[in-house]
Amino acid sequence: MRITAHSTLEQVAAVLAGVLREAGIKAVLTGGACATIYSAGGHQSEDLDLILQSSPTQRSLDEAMAKAGFVRNGDFYEHPRTSFFVEFPRGPLAIGTDTSIAPVEVQVEGVPVLLLSAEDSCRDRLAAFDHWKDRQALGAAVAIATNHPLDLEKTRAWSRREGAAAGFVEFQRTLEAAKAASHRSRPRGPR
Amino acid sequence: MAVTSPFGSRSRTRLLIALELLGQTYPRELARLLGSSLSAAQKGLESLERDGLVAGRLVGRTRVVQLNPAFFAMKEVRALLVRLVEADRELESRIAALRRRPRKSGKRL
Repeated sequence: MRITAHSTLEQVAAVLAGVLREAGIKAVLTGGACATIYSAGGHQSEDLDLILQSSPTQRSLDEAMAKAGFVRNGDFYEHPRTSFFVEFPRGPLAIGTDTSIAPVEVQVEGVPVLLLSAEDSCRDRLAAFDHWKDRQALGAAVAIATNHPLDLEKTRAWSRREGAAAGFVEFQRTLEAAKAASHRSRPRGPR
Repeated sequence: MAVTSPFGSRSRTRLLIALELLGQTYPRELARLLGSSLSAAQKGLESLERDGLVAGRLVGRTRVVQLNPAFFAMKEVRALLVRLVEADRELESRIAALRRRPRKSGKRL
């Protein structure tokens, strides 16, 4: 698979997973890109954040990324044909103060990609909403929860531990409104 | 008193202490408070941003910076910074002298 101007974020993620795996580099996709994958178009991220789980040299990382057509520009990797850019933020893999994150392997465009689970991705967006009051992040969390059955009690307990209980209340209210709106707009069958 | 530098260098540590005391600020204000050049403050902030300790965003044309609340150990980092203020009273008093509350437009400075 080659990256073109029409490549989706999922396709770029799949290409990256392939070249990094080939180079023996373990990295977990996090942030808004996971929300794009789990929300089925409900949220669109413009960048891909990968947390390294191994310690490649800068040179070997640059070489692996070059195989996908990405060139490093400071802290980012850019591609001449796609506007998606890639960053490798410093770890650890964490959501708020929680560092016991177990990534999952999901088939994306037929390629196994290591990323946050849907539940962790939702928590990750909620953490971003809490830290930055970013309504886009709240929208992404809602889009994930609309598309995936999540254990909301577990998320509520986590938000309490993080001191983000108010954010969770807003998330739950927005989620219920989104579900009700989706129910109303569903076409009804013949009586 | 010589300021301790547990965050890699004295200037990085002082930037973090200033951010802890100021909350949100911008590179020029930090440079003025720390008595450094703007480029030195920007360079220090960039390295702290790469380490995930500082976060910045554009507000209009100004880059506003703050300690990164999303950093997984920020609670512990902030607790350490509060202790480190004790070793840098000079910086603390410079920051205390800053007027940051609003002033009605037209009022004499």
